[in-house]
Amino acid sequence: MRYNRQIILSEVGEKGQEKLTQAKVLIIGAGGLGAAILPYLAAAGIGEIGIIDNDAIEITNLQRQVIYKSEAIGKSKALEAKAMAESLNPTIQINAIADTLNAKNAIELFEYYDIMVDATDNLPTKYLINDACQLTNKPFVYGSIYKFQGQVSVFNYQNGPTYRCLFPDESSNSKNCVDAGVMGISVGIIGMFQANEVLKMILGIGNVLSGELLIYNMLTNDQQKFELVKSNTTPFSRLDFEKKYDVAENTTLEITASEALEQIENKEVTFLDVRNATELPKISLPNQLQIPLADLEMNLEKLDSNKTILIYCQSGIRSKAAVELLKKYAFQKVQSIAGGALKLEEAIANNAISI
Amino acid sequence: MLSVKYFGAVAEKTNIQGENIPFANLSLQELVDELEQKYDLASLSYSIAVNQKMVQDKNSYMLMTNDVVALLPPFAGG
Repeated sequence: MRYNRQIILSEVGEKGQEKLTQAKVLIIGAGGLGAAILPYLAAAGIGEIGIIDNDAIEITNLQRQVIYKSEAIGKSKALEAKAMAESLNPTIQINAIADTLNAKNAIELFEYYDIMVDATDNLPTKYLINDACQLTNKPFVYGSIYKFQGQVSVFNYQNGPTYRCLFPDESSNSKNCVDAGVMGISVGIIGMFQANEVLKMILGIGNVLSGELLIYNMLTNDQQKFELVKSNTTPFSRLDFEKKYDVAENTTLEITASEALEQIENKEVTFLDVRNATELPKISLPNQLQIPLADLEMNLEKLDSNKTILIYCQSGIRSKAAVELLKKYAFQKVQSIAGGALKLEEAIANNAISI
Repeated sequence: MLSVKYFGAVAEKTNIQGENIPFANLSLQELVDELEQKYDLASLSYSIAVNQKMVQDKNSYMLMTNDVVALLPPFAGG
């Protein structure tokens, strides 16, 4: 009787409900969008829902991530989200995955689930979802926010256009909610659009938002759709995928000073000094940025996530923290220079490298 | 007249949601170059639609009067 009100819709019926029961949906991210999508998919009776997120709940999440209670601050988002969904609907299976989506776990997860829902807050993960969806031939329900505007689309649906057809330029930067600010309502509205696409796809009703980008403006209620076409670029092969992502993830998090100095001519490498500007010895390398660790999180837009970022501090401790921080924001190619500026200075002297 | 609409971070930079521009015989690329200069948009990445359809080859697309051009950057928040 739980699903009576939707079963009496002729578009759903017992048959549609059975389709929902058989479906397996993965929600990537248990933040603002995920918190909107999860309860509605769970309540509607999607048979199995995965929710992947590695974050803990913070007080600043609560104005928009409305499934979490104040008492849960500090707890795992994935586990709290699972508990919420299970108490909402104990008849379905919820899988909490307290991990970050990466190239290694993505393929296995995407092969298991039928539909991937993007509830992430950064562009590199959206490209990863896109590429892994293409490899596993699964649809990708995209949703994203910029302040009071939201975008929604369904990519790679029945061989339709992909995220790369819409946004081929992977090097672009766009602010997330942490940097730009957001109202809880906005992620709620866009999450609802996404959940709606999931249900329509499973039920086979209405028109799926494939080959179209929907933009919704919360301030004006203006809603526009833009048609997109599949571009001619060849899709990623399994080998390309592994080459693109695995290489980056296999790199160790630390590099020696002399190895780092071999990269000084490399335009694809940025050296990042996370010390305060006054600290000595002063190191000046080409392609170098100086952002103190304490300010790093506020200045992520100064970094190009496509480049390899080699980070140093005085002795190699703060730089490790900086690596962790950048990894959290989905920078893939970051390493800490062991021994920091002290070792760099030594290596420069030993190698007589002219800078 | 041409109509241009701005979204997301692009609208933030232009400080307007859209504007009308007198029609001139331009390719889409030429119009975009002008707008990039006028509003200092070079640091932003965006895709472009004309009359609600995404356009991939901006050089070969010749604008027609009454075209509605939209500058659409990717959003990242969630």
